[in-house]
Amino acid sequence: MSGVGFVAKTAALTRKDLRVEARSRDTLPPMLAFAFTVALVLAFTLPDATRASAKVVAGFLWITVLFAGLIGFARTFEVEREEGALDALLLVPLDRSGIFFSKAAANLVFLALVEVFLVPVFGLFFSLDLSSWLMLALVVVLVDIGFVAVGTLFASLASQTRSRELILPILALPVLVPAFIAGVELSADLFAGAGLDDIAARGWFGILLFFDAVFLVVGALGFEFAID
Amino acid sequence: MIRLEQVSVFFGPTIALDGLDTTIEPGITGLFGPNGSGKSTLLRVVAGLLAPNAGRVTFEGSPVATSDEGFVRRVGYAGHSAGLYSRLTVRENLELFAVLHGRVRPDLEPLLEQIGLAEHSATRAGVLSAGLKQRAAVARALVHSPDVLLLDEPYANLDDEAAALVSCAIQEWWTPQRIALVATHGAKKLKAFAHGGLILKRGRTVVQGSYRERPEAETFS
Repeated sequence: MSGVGFVAKTAALTRKDLRVEARSRDTLPPMLAFAFTVALVLAFTLPDATRASAKVVAGFLWITVLFAGLIGFARTFEVEREEGALDALLLVPLDRSGIFFSKAAANLVFLALVEVFLVPVFGLFFSLDLSSWLMLALVVVLVDIGFVAVGTLFASLASQTRSRELILPILALPVLVPAFIAGVELSADLFAGAGLDDIAARGWFGILLFFDAVFLVVGALGFEFAID
Repeated sequence: MIRLEQVSVFFGPTIALDGLDTTIEPGITGLFGPNGSGKSTLLRVVAGLLAPNAGRVTFEGSPVATSDEGFVRRVGYAGHSAGLYSRLTVRENLELFAVLHGRVRPDLEPLLEQIGLAEHSATRAGVLSAGLKQRAAVARALVHSPDVLLLDEPYANLDDEAAALVSCAIQEWWTPQRIALVATHGAKKLKAFAHGGLILKRGRTVVQGSYRERPEAETFS
């Protein structure tokens, strides 16, 4: 009868979170509403949004993603809190890193859906050159992986406090700075039409890869202490 | 066998368990005592969900810990909260926990029938009545046929008919090597089939014994 491995159990937990969100719509709509509102306000704030520098727009984009993401991540463990399911979850034979990866994967899906919506909106509002969309997608994925690793880990810590919505940004923001600076620099280069060789030569990809690797490992190992 | 050696648990100035020293042998053991006597804390400590401030808890000689996959594979726990995902149906909840316990394509029908949830299996846990939710929580604790069953007030919110279903499920689950520790105020319901009892008061054992060996235990309430 036994035969469900680590990956299958982790995937089952991720599917559970996605199914719960599909039914409750508690996480994604607030993230989308926040992202769209900020994009709209920024578009009206700049004197001539269509001529804003690539770096300014890239900064706006990633700040919007950052705070939209934190809104969603703060709810990471809400479904477990509702009916005391965390105890039941802690009593399943699955390494704690499995719970971490399942939560991070669900957060990654939510964040990706926000970005799929947000990037074209920014493209429209700020007349961005999105011809390098494949490269941009790579940058987004690399930033997102580190972002969800840090966000999920700190969300598990913050979930055990009363003011978790406040604690999460305080814990996560300082740590996330390198990933978001890299995201801004790479996106700005892409929006400005820089070539792949120029972008690669600046080393930001390496920083992102290093950041992702470090925080995936730290998250997987540290989650046990955070959640217990 | 579950062994508790000088187990103490404090919540600030409140003493929940006060140097508790006891052994829980295979069988169905009722855990009784007034409110605040430490029953729920004892169950959480035995489940490994709460680390004692002092003393140690072992199951078959090994310390209990939720990080020990071998231990949690053998434990079923239903606490005060149902431990269910409110947006998932009863069946989806049970399937999820069965899969997490390593069951491939679990056959849930017998369990659902046994505990009287078959007709509610497609209902979301969040909209179940308190009694149905309680039964679903017991079903979740039983879904992987654990060797140790820890139930905290399984008869809460249940009418006599539903309580009988829960009692029946516990009895059918039990085999001579298994341990059930059931905290309840419904002593009469449990005494009908329990093998022994443990009365707690202010975090200490007042009386412990087998119903067969200690007739005075019939006075458990």
